[in-house]
Amino acid sequence: MTRGVVRVGWALLAAATVLLSPASSFAQDPISDALAHEDARRWPEAAAAYRVILSRALDSAEQGDLIALTLLGLERVWHEAAQRDSILPVVEEVLARRPSDPVARSIQFRSLSVAAREGDLREAFMAWRRATPSDAAPWREYVRTLMTMGRPLAADSALAEATRVLGRQRDLAGEAAQIAAALERWSDAATAWRTATEVTPWMETAAAYSLQRAPTASRDSVRTVLLAEPVTIESRRLLSSLEVGWGDPRRGWAALASVRTHDSITVAWQEFGERAESMNAWAVAQEVWTAVFERTGEQTAGVRAAQAALTSGDPEGTLALLERASGTMSAEQRAQRVLITEVKALGELGRAEEAARKVAQAERWLDADARAELARPLVTAWLRAGDVEKARTAAEQAGALDDDATIGWLALYDGDLVEARRRLVRATTRDAALTDALAVLARTRVLRHPGLGEAFLTLARRDTAAASARFAALADSLSDAAPVLLATAARLASGSGDSKRAVRYWEQVVAQHASAAEAPEALLELARALARAGDTAGATAHYESLIIDHSGSAMVPQARRELERLRGRVPEVR
Amino acid sequence: MRRLHRLLWCALAVLAVHAPSALVPSAQAQSLLVPMDDAQRNHLKAYGLAFQAIKTSQRAEWLLNYRGGAFLLPDVPDLRRKASLDGISLEPVTDAVVAGIRAELAGGNMDAVVLERAPRIAIYRPVDQPPWDDAVTLALTYAGIDFASIWDDDVMRGDLSKYDWVHLHHEDFTGQFNKLYLAYRDAPWFIAQRQRDEAMARQFNLPHVPALKKAVADGIRTFVENGGFLFAMCGATESLDLALAAFNVDMAGPFSDGTPVDPDADARMDWARSFAFRGARIESSPYVNALSDIDGHQVNVPARRQPLGTFALFDFSAKLDPVAAMLVQNHRTVLSDFFGVTTSFNKAVLKPGVTVLASEEGAPWVKYIHGDYGQGSWTFLGGHDPEDAQHAIGSAPTDLSLHPSSAGYRLILNNVLFPAAKKKPRKT
Repeated sequence: MTRGVVRVGWALLAAATVLLSPASSFAQDPISDALAHEDARRWPEAAAAYRVILSRALDSAEQGDLIALTLLGLERVWHEAAQRDSILPVVEEVLARRPSDPVARSIQFRSLSVAAREGDLREAFMAWRRATPSDAAPWREYVRTLMTMGRPLAADSALAEATRVLGRQRDLAGEAAQIAAALERWSDAATAWRTATEVTPWMETAAAYSLQRAPTASRDSVRTVLLAEPVTIESRRLLSSLEVGWGDPRRGWAALASVRTHDSITVAWQEFGERAESMNAWAVAQEVWTAVFERTGEQTAGVRAAQAALTSGDPEGTLALLERASGTMSAEQRAQRVLITEVKALGELGRAEEAARKVAQAERWLDADARAELARPLVTAWLRAGDVEKARTAAEQAGALDDDATIGWLALYDGDLVEARRRLVRATTRDAALTDALAVLARTRVLRHPGLGEAFLTLARRDTAAASARFAALADSLSDAAPVLLATAARLASGSGDSKRAVRYWEQVVAQHASAAEAPEALLELARALARAGDTAGATAHYESLIIDHSGSAMVPQARRELERLRGRVPEVR
Repeated sequence: MRRLHRLLWCALAVLAVHAPSALVPSAQAQSLLVPMDDAQRNHLKAYGLAFQAIKTSQRAEWLLNYRGGAFLLPDVPDLRRKASLDGISLEPVTDAVVAGIRAELAGGNMDAVVLERAPRIAIYRPVDQPPWDDAVTLALTYAGIDFASIWDDDVMRGDLSKYDWVHLHHEDFTGQFNKLYLAYRDAPWFIAQRQRDEAMARQFNLPHVPALKKAVADGIRTFVENGGFLFAMCGATESLDLALAAFNVDMAGPFSDGTPVDPDADARMDWARSFAFRGARIESSPYVNALSDIDGHQVNVPARRQPLGTFALFDFSAKLDPVAAMLVQNHRTVLSDFFGVTTSFNKAVLKPGVTVLASEEGAPWVKYIHGDYGQGSWTFLGGHDPEDAQHAIGSAPTDLSLHPSSAGYRLILNNVLFPAAKKKPRKT
């Protein structure tokens, strides 16, 4: 926030204070004059104006707010004028009449700490204590001042004394938490923050910021404190926030999920669901929105859970959630709110006919934009089902023939590598499948190859094992792209759990295409496979070959790191 | 004519000797310069490379104060291969370039020290301890420098004489288990450690652990006195000197030897036996987690704990004071401080003649010290782990592959390598 905005805020507050005060005997002008001088950086004039207002306010018994405003104004002005000490006599004048004025005390503490007058600071604190013996405010301000001065140990001692004198801790829980965190006593910090956020929930952000710094080894102690009985929404919300910050949204959700009885838990869940979505933790988001849906019955939450499920790669779960969420919807509502997600899920499952039927049934409620939006998932659905002709027809009907990605993929499945290359390069959407296709197309000069199209079509049908075999078989006929085809085949085999076949393809890359761009990846994968099989010498040889023979490869740092771990020279990742 | 023949034969002979190098262009440079300034990608592994060179009896030189303490190694395939594998930056240089470097060394506060023999290294640690709890083990393991592990029984048998260089880390040689009894007496690892040490004491017919550790400390003292190099870090620094000075005094709390601390212990300490400190006051309370007032930071005593700052390495003359210069070779001169059971050493208790290698400006303590004792020498570095400033029991181990240019770990590796240096007559 800029200083100007702050000043406007103070001006408004001052004006409101003066105008709304029934005992006000001042016009608005003096405060406005002082602020005007301050805005114009006329420090002596501003200070004089504030002094006049203050001396008048001190004569009136009900001008506490105005006194605070003028003191703060004087503190700002003299700070800007490099006369910070000048505030102290004024503050003492105020304190002589109002010894427990919190703003005056606060300014006094700040000024004394900046001037490094620790003895006087202690005296001022004792004077405030004498004025209000049972009040926690002097202790709080003193502890905060010591913390600001970088004296956590002294603050800790003052806090212990406060607890002994006042006989209670809750009033100073926030300060206790900050001190414990500064001294890296994380369990104590968590306990104090738990108390503080239960007393003053607005401190949750400060608590999360403070505890976020806890090192990995100390986090379990923080968890233990925040998960302890009795369960409170504040402590669980704090823990969930910490877990997200520590990179584990699932644990964050676990902290909140078990709180089921609190009135405001739904709001906390919704906030967490949105946070999970923003982190792309879609599986967690699915669980959160499902829980919200089950608790509230809100259809919006159910649909959101289904969308999260689809994004996280769970089309069956998507359909089940949509079924539950749309049970009471009209046909029109279904068309407008769930059809697109449903068609996408059906497409992922290769249930193209069902997707097409759903779209046809909802036709009367779809406008042009909705039809266009449905076109791509429908084409995808037909391709997943392996029916290129129907995909082409769907694309024509939806007017998607000018879409580079759609036409490029159709051309590739037909084996028309020239058209596929021309269109896919221009595709605006980029995903891993497109990148893989372009990688293969960039490595061959062949113009037409139906076999390659069939291999990609098999992959589109999610038949990974068959696709892997097809890509490997093509290495002979498309010799210029042989390394990339073998690497693709190996990755697919590995992804489908057939590690033996993957190793065979990687070995082919190393043996037959040792200088190809895929060779470093092949060496790395072979080294990993050998290490997993317990062949340390073989794995070491492959890592070393990658580092020495492909020293410019981006995979060298990774290979070095894995080699260090294999040799026991760096600790295992926990 | 005979003279002509003789001349021709001589010319042919000279050609025969020099032809391979004179006529066939060499693909190799004559030497490899291992820079240790910011051009180096992996400073810690570079020490391993230099160690490898001297271990395989190849000539190696340490160029003090030149490019962060660079190494000059022969250009041989094995070293090139190791450098490639470890990601160490190398600069192949010809003899002409080396001659230029030597001229530069001669003209400034720099010098070349020949590293002639790989020191035999031992680390005092229980054999079953993982390498991740001791910064030196960590550094040597990462750099690929061979070492042996020794423990109390080896020292008691006199096996220290088999080694040139010994490292101690956070063992408490006063036998008080670093005063962790109050906080951890029920922890399984503490119980196991205590039982192990008590069994060892019985094995050597000693009444308790403090007596065992004092005997071990004395064995270490004898090792240094006879010409050994000692490098200690963390709590081993303070506790070793206390154990030596308290050789005939009971300074151990009742939880470790069953008897109270000698009330006159401070006055009866024999500081003539210690390496670095004198006149320190022991902390006799079993409830205060400190051994004495040697440590300036007192990390485990909340009311005395001092915050961490930075420490600066001193600049030494490479030509006049090569040992101290070797110990501070670095690409940084100001380093972030790090806590340990003993973090620093109060200046007030340092013996006269101790060389201060690094200290914190304006603070009453120093960080890194060195001295001679008998025919050997010792070096103490305060703190536990240079890359984990607040390391605590149970903290995750440090992965040095994430800190390949750690300036703090370089101090440790300087210590490992300096015993390899060829002795020069002392000039100071």
